[in-house]
This record gives sequence, C-alpha cells and structure tokens, in this order.
Amino acid sequence: MENFTALFGAQADPPPPPTALGFGAGKPPPPPPPPPGGGPGPAAPPTAASAPSGADKSAAGCGPFYLMRELPGSTELTGSTNLITHYNLEHAYNKFCGKKVKEKLSNFLPDLPGMIDLPGSHDNSSLRSLIEKPPILGGSFNPITGTMLAGFRLHTGPLPEQCRLMHIQPPKKKNKQKHKQSRTQDPVPPETPSDSDHKKKKKKKEEDPERKRKKKEKKKKKNRHSPDHPGVGSSQASSSSSLR
Amino acid sequence: MAEKFDHLEEHLEKFVENIRQLGIIVSDFQPSSQAGLNQKLNFIVTGLQDIDKCRQQLHDITVPLEVFEYIDQGRNPQLYTKECLERALAKNEQVKGKIDTMKKFKSLLIQELSKVFPEDMAKYRSIRGEDHPPS
Repeated sequence: MENFTALFGAQADPPPPPTALGFGAGKPPPPPPPPPGGGPGPAAPPTAASAPSGADKSAAGCGPFYLMRELPGSTELTGSTNLITHYNLEHAYNKFCGKKVKEKLSNFLPDLPGMIDLPGSHDNSSLRSLIEKPPILGGSFNPITGTMLAGFRLHTGPLPEQCRLMHIQPPKKKNKQKHKQSRTQDPVPPETPSDSDHKKKKKKKEEDPERKRKKKEKKKKKNRHSPDHPGVGSSQASSSSSLR
Repeated sequence: MAEKFDHLEEHLEKFVENIRQLGIIVSDFQPSSQAGLNQKLNFIVTGLQDIDKCRQQLHDITVPLEVFEYIDQGRNPQLYTKECLERALAKNEQVKGKIDTMKKFKSLLIQELSKVFPEDMAKYRSIRGEDHPPS
C-alpha cells in the first residue's frame, strides 16, 4: 500500500488548491487562457475539453474522474467466454482433437490415384505454384473436334517405366486401412485372443504326449532301482493316476 | 450449403476417374483404343466445363492459404483444422486468464483505494452505479 500511496502521493496528500491539480475539489479547473501569439505556453491541465476522444463525456463534471472511460458492455464477446462452445464448434473440436488425425494426405483422399504424399515441389504440382503462376486460359473449355483429335494419335506399346506414375500407389496403405476398417466394423473384437488361446491349447495337447513318455520313462527307471516297487504294472498305474 | 460441395465433389471424382482411365489407356496404347482415347479426351473437356460451372456457386467460399501448404507438403489438411482449433482454445484460455486476473486486480485496487480515499471512491462508485465495491 505504501508503494501505491507513493505513486499517487500528490493526490493522497491534503488537497492542494484547485488550481494546482484539481483533484478532490469537485470540479476540474478552468482551462487557462491561450498564450498570446500561439507560442508555447504552460501545458494545459487535462480537462473534459482536452480529454482523449475515448473519455466519457458524461463524466465531464464528475470531479476527479474526468478522464474516466466507459466500461465495455457486458454483452460484448470477449475471451472470457468459451468461444468454441459459443460458435457451436464442440463437435468439430471433438472430431479433430479427440482422436488422432492421420498425418498423410493419402489418408484424407484414399481413392485418389498416384503418389499424393510426396511434396508438390517434387514434381512441380504444388497448389501454391498454381496460385502464384496461374495458367493462361481462354474464355471457355471447348470440345476437341476431329481435326484436333488427330494430334492425339499415340505410338503403340507400353510407356517407359519412368513415365508410369499413375500406377504407383502408396505402399501397403490400403491393406492397413482395410484391416483397421474390418476391426472397427467387427462388433466382436476378441476373436484373435480366443484363436490364440485355442492355439495354445493345441500346443499343450501336442506337448502332453511327450511329457507323458518322459515321465513314464523316469518312473520306470526309479521303479527298477527302488526295492519298494517290485512290479511294473503298479508303476504304470501310479503314473496314470499322477497324470490325472 | 452442403449441396454445392457435394455437386463439386461429384464432378471432381468423375474427373479424377476419367483421368485415371485415360492414364491406363495411354500407358499401354493400342491402335484399337484410339476411339476410346478420343472419347475420354472429350469427357475431360466436359468435366472441366462442369467444374467451371460450379465456380459460380462457390464464389463466396474462402479457403485459407495455409491449407494449400499442408496439401503441397503431402499432409492431411484436417491437421490444419485440428491445429487451428487447438490454437484457438489455447488463446481463448490465455485471454480468459488475463481477464480474470485483471478483474481480481480491479477489485483489489478499488478495495485498497476505498481505504485511502473513501470519499472519492464513494463518488466513483456512484458514477459507475455500483453501490457496493465489487468482490
């Protein structure tokens, strides 16, 4: 607060005579008479007459507040309101910012033939160059007549490889898209895990007979060496029970 | 509004398809396909005429130049929309923060001024039509 009073020290002090600053006296001082000859005189104190154009005219006779401006209207649209909701752009915001937008142009125009992901400057096909150097056109597009069509007689045979740009497509994109589409379209996603489970079970089943044999062989060896188990048939029974 | 764009889109798709077919004919040209080539060439002319007619309906549509930069770089133009919306929201939040801070400052300033200059601030409030200092 001390800093604040220091800033407004002249005003915070006991009010000086109204001619000095005109603060707190109730009325602004009258403007001094213009200097004779139009020479540089003392600077005129700011009054309602010399106030900036934005100053409130109604506040002209309001004492110390003669420079006060009108407050902006509350109906004015400012950044304090959420402008995206104000202009009904929530749907667009959720659409573009809610999920990841694919980076490449071919994702936006999947049906367009050719390599469209390459920069336009690469093959001089940029839209910017079309704007900067628009092609010279006639008034209208006229159909090609018979004599003009004679100019389009081509040589037979395939084009050289360097000219076959039309058939080059972005690699493996369509497959990926189809795969993704099928994923999104399929209402039952856990098909793959169930398949994998099935495979695992199969593997287990395949491994099981091998394990059985190994276990049998081990037990046979044990039974041969141990005096408590004289018969082979009993060992087989025990092994079968253990497997169960 | 959307009909205009649908109309243009339809013509553009037809045009692109004609160009594609023309490319196929030309890539391995046979003497028997000369008639087809001539037909396709005239289809392209009529396609260009149709697209040119759409221009009259779309004269009031403006496209930001930055979108063309995205397309020229082989990037998805929807990324421009996305970044525009994100920038707008960030700026909106920034300005809202400034406005809120200035409001707080104003209320504090009036509060403190009222302690030091009670009479003047009473006048101020009467001019502003505020009976009580804003909280």
